[in-house]
Amino acid sequence: MNIIKSGEGSALNIALEGRLDTTTAPQLDGEIKASVDGLTELTFDLAGLDYISSAGLRVLLSAQKAMNRQGQMVIRNVKPEIMEIFEVTGFVDILTIE
Amino acid sequence: MNKKTISSTFLHWLLLIVAVAFAVSMAFSWLMQTRTSQRSAVNLLRLNIQDVQKDVMDASDANLLKITRNVAVQLNANPGVNEAVMEALLELYDIAEINIIDETGIITASTCEDYLGYDMRSGKQSAEFMILLTGSQQELVQNYQPISYDSSTMRKYAAVCLNRGGFVQVAYDAESFHKDISLQVIGATRNRHVGEGGGIIIADEDWIIVSDRNKNEGKNLSITGIMIDRDTMPEGKVFQTLVYGEPCSCMYVLTEGYYIIATMPRNEIVLQRDHSVRITAILEVVIFLALFAEIFWLVRKLVVNSINKVNSSLSKITGGDLEETVDVRSNVEFSSLSDDINATVSTLKQYIAAASAKIDQELAFAKNIQQSALPSVFPPYPDRTDFNHFASMDTAKEVGGDFYDFYLLDEKRLAFLVADVSGKGIPAAMFMMTGKTVLRDYAERGDGIADIFTNSNNKLCDGNDAEMFITAWMGFLETDTGLVRFVNAGHNPPVLIRNGQASFITQKANLTLAAMENVRYREQILNLEPEDLLFLYTDGVTEATNSSEELYGNDRLLQVLSADFSGENACERVCRQVKRSLDDFVGDAPQFDDITMLCLYYSGKKADNRNAAELTVEASVDNLASVLAFVDEQLEKAECSPKSQMQIDVAVEELFVNIASYAYAPSKGDAVISVYFENEPKQAVIEFRDKGFPFDPLKKDDPDVTLSAEDRAIGGLGIFMVKKSMDDIFYRREDGQNILTIKKQI
Repeated sequence: MNIIKSGEGSALNIALEGRLDTTTAPQLDGEIKASVDGLTELTFDLAGLDYISSAGLRVLLSAQKAMNRQGQMVIRNVKPEIMEIFEVTGFVDILTIE
Repeated sequence: MNKKTISSTFLHWLLLIVAVAFAVSMAFSWLMQTRTSQRSAVNLLRLNIQDVQKDVMDASDANLLKITRNVAVQLNANPGVNEAVMEALLELYDIAEINIIDETGIITASTCEDYLGYDMRSGKQSAEFMILLTGSQQELVQNYQPISYDSSTMRKYAAVCLNRGGFVQVAYDAESFHKDISLQVIGATRNRHVGEGGGIIIADEDWIIVSDRNKNEGKNLSITGIMIDRDTMPEGKVFQTLVYGEPCSCMYVLTEGYYIIATMPRNEIVLQRDHSVRITAILEVVIFLALFAEIFWLVRKLVVNSINKVNSSLSKITGGDLEETVDVRSNVEFSSLSDDINATVSTLKQYIAAASAKIDQELAFAKNIQQSALPSVFPPYPDRTDFNHFASMDTAKEVGGDFYDFYLLDEKRLAFLVADVSGKGIPAAMFMMTGKTVLRDYAERGDGIADIFTNSNNKLCDGNDAEMFITAWMGFLETDTGLVRFVNAGHNPPVLIRNGQASFITQKANLTLAAMENVRYREQILNLEPEDLLFLYTDGVTEATNSSEELYGNDRLLQVLSADFSGENACERVCRQVKRSLDDFVGDAPQFDDITMLCLYYSGKKADNRNAAELTVEASVDNLASVLAFVDEQLEKAECSPKSQMQIDVAVEELFVNIASYAYAPSKGDAVISVYFENEPKQAVIEFRDKGFPFDPLKKDDPDVTLSAEDRAIGGLGIFMVKKSMDDIFYRREDGQNILTIKKQI
């Protein structure tokens, strides 16, 4: 999985490509934890994400919880098969998906 | 309340009316008869008096006229007659006076000097004689009456014309003429009867009896008991008095100085009336009795008998015979009633027919639903060579209380059962659906077969207000070994057909399902050998009855099953053979119970056609990539759609990570992943096996996906996602292994 971070100051954009699964989720979790201090705007671009498992959902959930305290988090360009997983698990109600 | 029959009510009223009519008519008749008797008595009295009166008058008239004619003869012979001659004549005839009247109506000579010169025209009584001067009449007699010259004097006069002109008038007084006619008077009354016991009494003006049947002549009238007061008792009117001590109706007239009294005993008058009334009464009794009998007979014939006929037809109709018609045509009213009843019954029949058509239609729907609830595609698992089976159900009514079922619990275990709900028809069918569902629910949860029965029994007992029960025989066939674990809940023992020999599996049965709560069911076992057939059935088979009331029975069943059924479609042939045998036995007799059969064939051949691909790796997250690569390889070979592949990948990842994280923690162990495919529907079956701690991940509660981010727990999501995305998932623990299987259409 590739994690492409961009942005400056209090805004961060993270684009994900490939598979967010048990093996790759800790990597993303680490990246977010490293950047989250002082962040007020976090954006995920999932245009390149093909696969997500519960480990990936957990990372997104903990990121959402963190951003709820200090700003906002937006998710963009979700593929239909990933969207279906968000819907089944009730994540559509938790995440802000544009 | 005491109800009376129409005829007895009618009888009472008719009797009352007849009695009243009789009483009224008798009273009327009595009154009429009384009046008639009175009147006829009066007439009788009057007639008798008139007769006697006429006799007396005739006698006295004739007597006086005779004397007068004699006097006239004397006078005509001696035209120069003088008063001395007249005196002599007076003496001779013992009469009261003689007067000679000239052509002018003046008395020219008389034995009584006072009358000389008297003009006959000057009094009413005397003027009557002037008619003799007209020449139209030669004689005249008068009644005894007061005279014109002196009204205090009573006389009877007669006159005869004289040759020289004028006429001679002779007068009688009572005393003298009574003497002359007393014999005639007595003769006229002596033998005269008024009615039977009545008679005539004659008395003179001094109340001396002149004539009397009791020979009291010469005595005073009072001796008879009759007292006449002329002021209060007018002539010709009836009066009541005692005559010689006997109550009588009496009447009198005064004629020629006589009291003529007719008497008639009251008894006789009353006797007449009583006699008439008695005859009338007898006639009326006869007429009323005849009338009464006739009316009563008519009522019975026209009303009561007709009502009885109608009632007998009605009771047939209410007894259910709607073909019965009422046909009482004895009169217009009953004819119309018959038509009305027939029309009502005919309308009723139409409604019943309509209602039953509707019920038939609904039953047909129900039958459809029930039939479609039973698996009916045979063979159900065409690619299995290790076993096959066939089942059928023929219901006695549209819907039945029997059922059969079968399903694969997993690749190596087939559940199969036959059951029979007590009773028939819709209630049994509804309970059958419940029973079938409950058993399947518990079976699919992975319980052992004894627990399935124990749990199902408790569930079925709960709210079984209709107190129905189910007999069931259910077995789990382990296809690898031929071992059948079974529970028999009060059901008929199945038949084992081995080498063409049929025998019953007679092991002790448990209690029927739904009969009593908290019954513990025992698991029993049976070993099938390759080529064995197991035949399950309901009592509709062994208790089928022919027209001679004989049961089909166990012996016939064993006989028909003791045959060589080897070859293609053995199970279906077994069922058809039994059905044919039953049909032959039963003949035309109606089917009373549902007939259900299930036949299982065990080949003993291993089910190797799965071609499962298997991978054994250490259960570690590090091996996730190789596990996914193995699964993907199999899916791509099977041309799985990308979407299903992604969902299967997620599921495999979640389940493998689960095993890696928890199964052996904190030590290490292996996990076996096998993948194979089924057809129709085309689906992937992936099995995960580990020898770790017993753990059923499916028992974990699902996370609440409606909670907010803050409240959502991290964890539990993985299994939830698997449940949601896979078509089927089940867990079992077997031989110290956790076995989790997922199925997904590709």
